[in-house]
Amino acid sequence: MTENLGWLMLWGVMVGLDLASVMQTMITRPLVAGAVAGFILGDPVSGITVGVVLELFALEVLPVGASRYPDYGVGAVAAAAAAVGAPGVFGTGVGVAVGLVVAYLGGKAIHLVRVENAEDVRRHRRQLDAGDSAAVVGVHLRSLGRDVLRALIIASVGLLLAGVGPLWIPLNLQGSIYLGIAMVGAAIAAAVTGVGRLTGRRSGLRWFVLGLAGGLAGVIFG
Amino acid sequence: MKRGMIRAGIRTLLIQASWNYERLVGVGVAFISEPLLRDLPGGVEGERYKAALGRAAQHFNGHPYLVGLAVGALARVEHDGLPPEQITRLRTALTGPLGSVGDKLIWAGLLPVASAVGLVLAVWSSPAAAVIAFLLVYNIVHFALRGWAIKAGWSSGIEVGKRLGAPTLKLGLKVAGPLAALTVGFALPVVAAWLVRHVEAHELAGVGLIAAVGVVLARWVWPTLGANRFGMAAVAVALILGWL
Repeated sequence: MTENLGWLMLWGVMVGLDLASVMQTMITRPLVAGAVAGFILGDPVSGITVGVVLELFALEVLPVGASRYPDYGVGAVAAAAAAVGAPGVFGTGVGVAVGLVVAYLGGKAIHLVRVENAEDVRRHRRQLDAGDSAAVVGVHLRSLGRDVLRALIIASVGLLLAGVGPLWIPLNLQGSIYLGIAMVGAAIAAAVTGVGRLTGRRSGLRWFVLGLAGGLAGVIFG
Repeated sequence: MKRGMIRAGIRTLLIQASWNYERLVGVGVAFISEPLLRDLPGGVEGERYKAALGRAAQHFNGHPYLVGLAVGALARVEHDGLPPEQITRLRTALTGPLGSVGDKLIWAGLLPVASAVGLVLAVWSSPAAAVIAFLLVYNIVHFALRGWAIKAGWSSGIEVGKRLGAPTLKLGLKVAGPLAALTVGFALPVVAAWLVRHVEAHELAGVGLIAAVGVVLARWVWPTLGANRFGMAAVAVALILGWL
């Protein structure tokens, strides 16, 4: 990982900013963030595997209004870094575990940034209300700077955890299997819960069941 | 004004950078609107520019991709010289619908659909195909919507409400939810089967048990727990069991 650390860090910051502040092209989705981190590390399969699991977790999130949500994008970059190189269930379980912790920290950090942004707005209320363009641009760009710093810190912490996590987590073969099972089970639960929110109404549920039947047919006959 | 529209269009990509608990995207709206207000009589030192920018910086909420509709419309009515009270009423009236239309169309529609397409391709094709397909499906609609919103807002002005009832938007709202349910429904068993492909039968029972506990907790017992915290709790339990 160390020879690609710079690229991983850059990717982690880009992914962190894409979550809300810059563009929102959804490179921050774990599927994309994890796969690209895997490409950077020369192991796209490990990257996409942790990306798929974390994407299921992310399906539970509806980022509406003032809701608070984990930063699964930077989590997926850290998860891919932790998972690369480890075979099968070993890497996936440890990687996703690291990814969940980083996503949690990232979500908490977003909240802190937004509280600090609000404080900045309060400090410049008079200028903002008076239509001072320097105050508008200043508050906006300082807020952007805070999110850059947040993304940088979370990406650094994530990659540090990815480096030391697999060494510190006391895992034997049985523990690795348990971890893999727990992560996949929890991811499926998250996705089902997310779908439940999408299909709250009866007609939505019908379409979901239809899709489920098609997916099952695809698995059985595919 | 064309240059102002281009600048405002580019600035919409940063709309949420100053999101805060005080005015939500209010400051972001002012940041985007600023290039569109420079041509007001008196220029950037004029009273109308300052009053308009001050109004733009007040509390506002809306989906980030559709906020351009409000930005364009509010800038237009400032140029049309409508009374400040009427402009404030228009701003207040747009807050709710822009949020709810965007949330239904994008967060509960387009995003899960693109995600499901990416997930299925990750399993059935390749990581590169999954990433490219996801980004294409999502961003074609995303950027089209952003571009349309600011232009439609500017051309509509006070009549902007009619644009929210545009046939294409209505159709999008009608199909977004069912399409999301259908595609995510399809993707779930495909992905689940792929993730457990090397798992023994008794381990599969463990996956099913944890999934069932997670769903029951989230839906009926502890809805505010969240998947992230449930996942971390599952990590802790797995580590303890492995250690024992």
